[in-house]
Amino acid sequence: MTRYPSTKTGRGVRNAIVACAAASLLAVSGAASAGVIKVGVSLRMKTETGEKYGQMVVDEFEAINAAGGINGHTFEVKLLNDECKSDIGVANATKFAYQDNVHLFIGSSCSSVSLPIVDVLHKAGVPMLIPHSTNYKITLKGSPWVFRVPISSRFSAAAAAKYTAENIGTKIAYIWASDAASQADAQKFYEYIETFHGEPPVYAEQFQEGEIDLRAHLLKIKAMKPEALMISAQSQDFARGLVQSYEVGIPPSVKRIGGSAASNRPAPILSGDAIKGVFFHAAFSYADPDPKVAEFVTMTAERYGVANPDHDFSQAWDSVHVARIAIEGAELILTDDSLAADRAAIRDALGTVQGYVTLGGGVVDFCADPTPECRDGNKTPVLIEYTKGGEDYEIRVIGKTTFGADFGLASMAEEAKMLRESLDN
Amino acid sequence: MDLLLDFVIVGVSIGIVYGLVALGISLIFSGLDIVHFAHGELYMIGAFLGISVIAFTGVPYFWALIGAMILTGVLGVVVERVFYRRLTRGGGGYTVAGMGMIICGFGMSVALQNVAYLLWGAAPHPYPVSFGMPIFLGNIALPKNYFYILICALILMTVLHTFLTRTKLGLAVRAVAYNKDTSYLMGVNVPVMISLIFGVACAMAAAAGVLIGPINYVQIEMGYLMLLKAFAAAVVGGFGSLPGALLGGIVVGLFETLCAGYLIASYKDIYAFLLLIVVLMVRPTGLFGILVKVKA
Repeated sequence: MTRYPSTKTGRGVRNAIVACAAASLLAVSGAASAGVIKVGVSLRMKTETGEKYGQMVVDEFEAINAAGGINGHTFEVKLLNDECKSDIGVANATKFAYQDNVHLFIGSSCSSVSLPIVDVLHKAGVPMLIPHSTNYKITLKGSPWVFRVPISSRFSAAAAAKYTAENIGTKIAYIWASDAASQADAQKFYEYIETFHGEPPVYAEQFQEGEIDLRAHLLKIKAMKPEALMISAQSQDFARGLVQSYEVGIPPSVKRIGGSAASNRPAPILSGDAIKGVFFHAAFSYADPDPKVAEFVTMTAERYGVANPDHDFSQAWDSVHVARIAIEGAELILTDDSLAADRAAIRDALGTVQGYVTLGGGVVDFCADPTPECRDGNKTPVLIEYTKGGEDYEIRVIGKTTFGADFGLASMAEEAKMLRESLDN
Repeated sequence: MDLLLDFVIVGVSIGIVYGLVALGISLIFSGLDIVHFAHGELYMIGAFLGISVIAFTGVPYFWALIGAMILTGVLGVVVERVFYRRLTRGGGGYTVAGMGMIICGFGMSVALQNVAYLLWGAAPHPYPVSFGMPIFLGNIALPKNYFYILICALILMTVLHTFLTRTKLGLAVRAVAYNKDTSYLMGVNVPVMISLIFGVACAMAAAAGVLIGPINYVQIEMGYLMLLKAFAAAVVGGFGSLPGALLGGIVVGLFETLCAGYLIASYKDIYAFLLLIVVLMVRPTGLFGILVKVKA
């Protein structure tokens, strides 16, 4: 196509339009940053369920805005999908910290993603509120910017292990996927059994995430005749392992145990009837008779079409409200020059959140020290058993238990030192 | 002894699936002289189409397998005619366009994965079929779906073998695979035969996808690892050899399962590629491959 040179008059008009547009843009961006609390959210949204709880986070902040905001300030929320991949999560966090200049980061769902993000946000000085990740190392790193709403694996795996030892047996086989949360769940489980019951694992092996055939592991386990089999993996790998455990002929009398990801909605859908009788630890059960839970379940059913929300839903909701409570008590300036001070004010305010009762019934208590005692907010895992699999799966609560803030830390001193050193380097 | 038998059953069942995908790769290689890197995605789309056939028509699993094979075969023909064929317009046919075809195959792999994402989403889908509990012979468990895999694979191989060796169309396909120019001079419709080869290869991939569906789950990322394993199977069996592809699949499946069973199971995926390297070093043509420097 032929291009014609612009006339002098044409160039003048164009320059004037560009100058006006640039001036308006500057004016708008300057006005927008005053009184606006920027929140960056990075979650695993690979599935429809993930997209729905991601949307719920945005909707909850918008509801706060619609009700007049907090102390006159409103929220501007940016939601990104990290696909449970650490490289994408780190890129999202870096963008939020340095490009979007967020005041608060909420994420991620996966421990493998949250672990490297801690380092990024620690260096950038951005408060990080974790909605789903459970690996105990996240808070063991000792960053003053990190706060965790879900239950650390040092509590939850111990609760499941204690129940197993007292009600099923201690001769247990373990297979776990290579992601950080699954590793930590299995590790803390068998450490508890070894420490308190003196029984080493019958079988303990890791497999790659997404591995299609786990039958070599399962056949070996079958030959060892354990009393229980723990499959600690994200929902898809967990379901595959569970179904294949029946295919290879491990008898139903061998109790199947899941990690925290067994609570995720796809797990019972993919597993079908194989999941009946499986128990796992989580932070929430939709079958809880608490009226607050019933109200939440009604909300997720009406707004998002999810009648049996899992703990990823409840903890995402809890995280928004923990953030709201903290920001209500924070003195924010919210100008372009006050970014660092505002971030520090939100961090300090998060450190004062005490007594927040989660939908699952646990209590989130934060404090100022950058230690796991202060930053692992919820210490009350719930043990849940599936009574039916498939789309309309059903569960029952076996029990809840609350741990002391320092539970399990005594044996982690050396690891904590190493993690702190790596954070400072 | 029971454990060894268990490992053999598992190894053969997964190996046959590797073999079916490898069969398609070998068929395309022997016919068109190209390595098709989007074959894993056609395996994935075939598996999804099987679920869709069941969902929309309510037919039994076997007919879903046939339906998925037909639909994926047609898709393969469309992909070949619309995208790959254009690369040969510079002259020299598929042999000369080889590098372009390989790059286009990578691109097609990403494109097909995204098409599948749009159609079926990223969530894994369970196969809507139940085979029930396995049959127990003493301590050995024989899952019914393994029998299904074995029987279907044998039927498919027999039909393909009969088609290639006992029919005029099969003879034309083999002639095109051997020498396209001479085939053309002898009156064979070479472009149609090329499309047929592509369609049959994609149908085989779909069969593998539908057969593994009840063992695994179907999701958009399932093609990648299967493609690598199928390449290993094709190389072990002899690239371009059809019986070699199936046998290579069984050898790879057995080898990795036995190694995982008697060595460290965590490194299961490594064993298949270790075998691939050893075969390439000791017998580069594979078990059934023929060393051909320049094709006729």
